[in-house]
Amino acid sequence: MIDLNQISQLIIPVAHAQEAAASSGGIAVLGLNVKFFIAQLINFGILLLIFWKWILPGVTKAMQARTERIEKSLTDADRIEKEKKEFDIWRQAEMGKARTEASSIVTAAQTEAGNAKQAILDQTKQDQQKLVDQAKTQIESEKNKALQDAKGELADLVINATEKILRKKLDSKVDQEYIKESLGLVK
Amino acid sequence: MLSLPPLAAEPIFHIGSFPITNAYINSTLGVVVFAVFAYFLNRSAKKYYATGAPKGLVNFFEYLIEFVLGYIDGVTHDRKKTMKFLPIVGGMFFFILFSNWVGLLPGTGSFGLYRGGEFLPILRPANTDLNLTLAMAVFAVVASHILGIFTIGFFKYANKFIKFGDIYQAIKSLSPIKILVAFIEFFVGLIEVFSEVAKMVSLSLRLFGNIFAGEVLLTVLASLIAGYGAFLIPIPFMLLELIVGIVQATVFSMLTLVYLSIATSEIHGHVEENHQEIEVSEVEAI
Repeated sequence: MIDLNQISQLIIPVAHAQEAAASSGGIAVLGLNVKFFIAQLINFGILLLIFWKWILPGVTKAMQARTERIEKSLTDADRIEKEKKEFDIWRQAEMGKARTEASSIVTAAQTEAGNAKQAILDQTKQDQQKLVDQAKTQIESEKNKALQDAKGELADLVINATEKILRKKLDSKVDQEYIKESLGLVK
Repeated sequence: MLSLPPLAAEPIFHIGSFPITNAYINSTLGVVVFAVFAYFLNRSAKKYYATGAPKGLVNFFEYLIEFVLGYIDGVTHDRKKTMKFLPIVGGMFFFILFSNWVGLLPGTGSFGLYRGGEFLPILRPANTDLNLTLAMAVFAVVASHILGIFTIGFFKYANKFIKFGDIYQAIKSLSPIKILVAFIEFFVGLIEVFSEVAKMVSLSLRLFGNIFAGEVLLTVLASLIAGYGAFLIPIPFMLLELIVGIVQATVFSMLTLVYLSIATSEIHGHVEENHQEIEVSEVEAI
């Protein structure tokens, strides 16, 4: 509950203050005093000095350094981006050149390979023909030699058979048998 | 028994012949807290900046500084100037905010001693002492003049107040209108000198008045209702005082910033001057 006596007590100090102000010229009642003023000024000065010299530098220097680092990073990022774009353009051009060069190299290589292949094929065909010819000649000579050998052998057999026929004087039936026998050996 | 805080801070003890008041104890406490904070901040800063990204206290303080830098940048539009004003404006803002908020903590105004049957609180919000608010206001205005002189030169700066240069130029032009305007501006310049005193008075009284009124309001509300009501009723008003604390810290530091900004900028014409004066009046209206 609000007590009216207490409200009246509020008014009394104000009235006292007004009286004191009237008697002391007004300024003393506010507590203004040169000594206190200087003391508070010194206190405030010390506080500002602490703030200025001791609190701010550590943090603001670090903040400044960080800001500079971020600005530098942004500048570097812009520069890198620009360089990347330039590099991309250069790379595209170089890739185009390389592709053209590679294409001409491949074409030249293909032509050269085709020529080399044709040359090798021709050479191989020639060598093959040569070998076939050599083989044919050798087979012909071997065949001739074999025929000669067979003829010689046949002649010997005929001679042997004739000799045997003549030595034993056998009849025609026995002759025939010998001849057949001899001919059977020839086969 | 209702005991309203007196307008003047009360002496608690003496060092030699010098009386130490409860508000002075609070402002000294602020200095000590700032020094301790600086110690821990530097220790954390060394640790974190060596390893990379900041954490904890350093990170939080960086956020606060970024916030304040944003505000200052909004007025100066020049990061170089912002960095020059930051120690004054930032220091002022954090100190006023700390002093205002610490006054709401239990212990301030409630712990004390009885002397001659009267209760004397050992701690009293620092900004309820007009000596401190006036000291800060004087510092702000004097600093703006010193920085102004160093930035734009003594004679150019003096010409903002004592406009002999304008009268000379007007007489040289032989134009009666220009001469009349120059003389009017000369007297306006003289009025500016008085406005500098008004700046100190308004800055100091505004902060003192708001914070002292808050103290009185909380005391009255706590005393009006007996029982648990005495604890519950002031709570919404304490929350309001939190807002008042930050608003007053912002107003004081922003006005100081505007004074610094005006003092360190060259006068190009009346339009710009008027624009800056509008900005000041907008902040003062808060």
